[in-house]
Amino acid sequence: MSTALAAVTDELLGKVLTPPRWLKPALLVTFLGSLTFVWAATYTVITGIGVWGNNIPNAWAFGITNFVWWIGIGHAGTFISAFLLLLEQKWRASINRLAEAMTLFALVQAGMFPLLHLGRPWFAYWLFPYPSTMSAWPQFRSALTWDVVAVSTYFLVSLLFWYLGLVPDLAAMRDRAEGRWRKRIYAVFALGWKGSVSNWQRWRIGYGLLAGLATPLVISVHSVVSTDFATGNLPGWHSNIFPPFFVAGAIYSGFAMVVMLLVPVRRLYRLEHLITERHLENIGKMMIVTGWIVIYCYVAEWFSAWYSGDRFEIYEHFVDRPTGPYALLFWIVVVCNCLAVQTLWFPRARKSPLVLFVVATFVQIGMWTERLMIIIGAESRDFLPSSWHAYHPSIVDVGLLFGTLSFFAFLFLLFLRFVPFVPISEVKELRHA
Amino acid sequence: MPDMVIAEFDEPEAAVQAARRVRELGYRDVDAYGPFPVPELSEALAIPRSRVSVLAFLAGGAGATSGIFLQWWCNAFDYPLDVGGRPFASWPTYIVIAFEATVLFAAFATFGAVLLGSKMPRLHDPVFDLPGFERTTLDRFWITIRHADVDELAKTLREHGAVEVRYA
Repeated sequence: MSTALAAVTDELLGKVLTPPRWLKPALLVTFLGSLTFVWAATYTVITGIGVWGNNIPNAWAFGITNFVWWIGIGHAGTFISAFLLLLEQKWRASINRLAEAMTLFALVQAGMFPLLHLGRPWFAYWLFPYPSTMSAWPQFRSALTWDVVAVSTYFLVSLLFWYLGLVPDLAAMRDRAEGRWRKRIYAVFALGWKGSVSNWQRWRIGYGLLAGLATPLVISVHSVVSTDFATGNLPGWHSNIFPPFFVAGAIYSGFAMVVMLLVPVRRLYRLEHLITERHLENIGKMMIVTGWIVIYCYVAEWFSAWYSGDRFEIYEHFVDRPTGPYALLFWIVVVCNCLAVQTLWFPRARKSPLVLFVVATFVQIGMWTERLMIIIGAESRDFLPSSWHAYHPSIVDVGLLFGTLSFFAFLFLLFLRFVPFVPISEVKELRHA
Repeated sequence: MPDMVIAEFDEPEAAVQAARRVRELGYRDVDAYGPFPVPELSEALAIPRSRVSVLAFLAGGAGATSGIFLQWWCNAFDYPLDVGGRPFASWPTYIVIAFEATVLFAAFATFGAVLLGSKMPRLHDPVFDLPGFERTTLDRFWITIRHADVDELAKTLREHGAVEVRYA
């Protein structure tokens, strides 16, 4: 057994200690792509948010779409690592750290948008309650302050959870890494982990507790985000269904992102024996489940619009969305979110990395489009036709979206380069049992 | 005169058996190290259950209390702002932030308790200097016994499947 354990450790650490050849060029490309974000953000901050396509009545558009979408992507990471840990779904062990890293990096991207949308991001600390000389406090009866607290809590708890899980593996890195400086850096991050029985016992209890604490956040964060909309009066927003609707969509797009990261990583790092067909199949099944919850939510949304008898709600859902100026968004949502995922009913499709990857791409596009459809549709046509106004994104909007996508990929590649991305101690424990 | 015995095992089961025997022989200053958690090993060495959960619970309670107090202080006491005649202290709107504060405080308490309880961060420990310790994060299990009757114990440990026994 001993040699097998050593082999697993050396194999997994080897992936980090001797990185594959493609990694450097890939890092360079994504770094250059991230510069788009730097350009767009700098331009926005220096000139003002007028350079975005937003204008009254379309006060929220690409920025908030991206925010909601990126936050949602994070949810599947927490779902996989925390929810499935509590349910003792052992198959999660080889993919949970990748998924948690995805959560953290997605939250980093998400946070940028509200920050930039402030217009004067250097006053972002006004969002937090601190005793200021102006003797004003934030207004906690507003859903926007809940958002700040929910998202920052989510980020911090995810970070603690991820890091605590990582500590024993960083200690393994410390003991294996070549070169004085590398050893030292890993030693600092391993915090002096000894792996004694009492260390392990405490670590396990703490890790389980953090999983338990992170689990309700999967449900709560997007619920809180959705209250930004649901507490507003606009037709298409003002609905009780929003919290579960947003959470379902979040987990749906999150699983799609897990697939989009896992399929290439598994192939490029030759991890087929650890991230098996069973993992892919299970994620495929999760996509069908969450996909159908999302479809159910669409139906419930239509039903409540019709049942309310409110002519503005009815117009928004049955006329404006499918036939209005943004009808294209609606039909993209139908194809990408409702139809594409049905392929996964076939076991062969769920087991094929290529099919999964393509379906996940569709879902990703569909979920992003759905957020934009909800936001733009309602704002551009509210109660009074005299206040109707169309929205067009500017090149800066597109630059920010592209830039965050690149930056996300860049952070993820850095993670693959420096951190043991398959939890070594958990895989060993699993192998042994 | 060395009085510490280090026994190395390549199977956790053997380490558990040996740990039980060592306890039976009356040794109390015993510790064990390994690459993954082995609950039987902590049982064999009678490691008391950590109280991390109690701390997390208390911290969560403190979080909820301070979350509610903060909102009441800001919006009902120190800076009451009339918004459409709605009540200043409206408890339903407190729920979200009280919940988030509960989770946040409990998470930090858990993280802190795990680290501080294990006396971390402490980048160096004398045990790191023992030759071969780096294999305990790879594939070996160690039992260390201080203040031991060295020769006799070494013999017992070898009988229990230790692949190597050293003195320090």
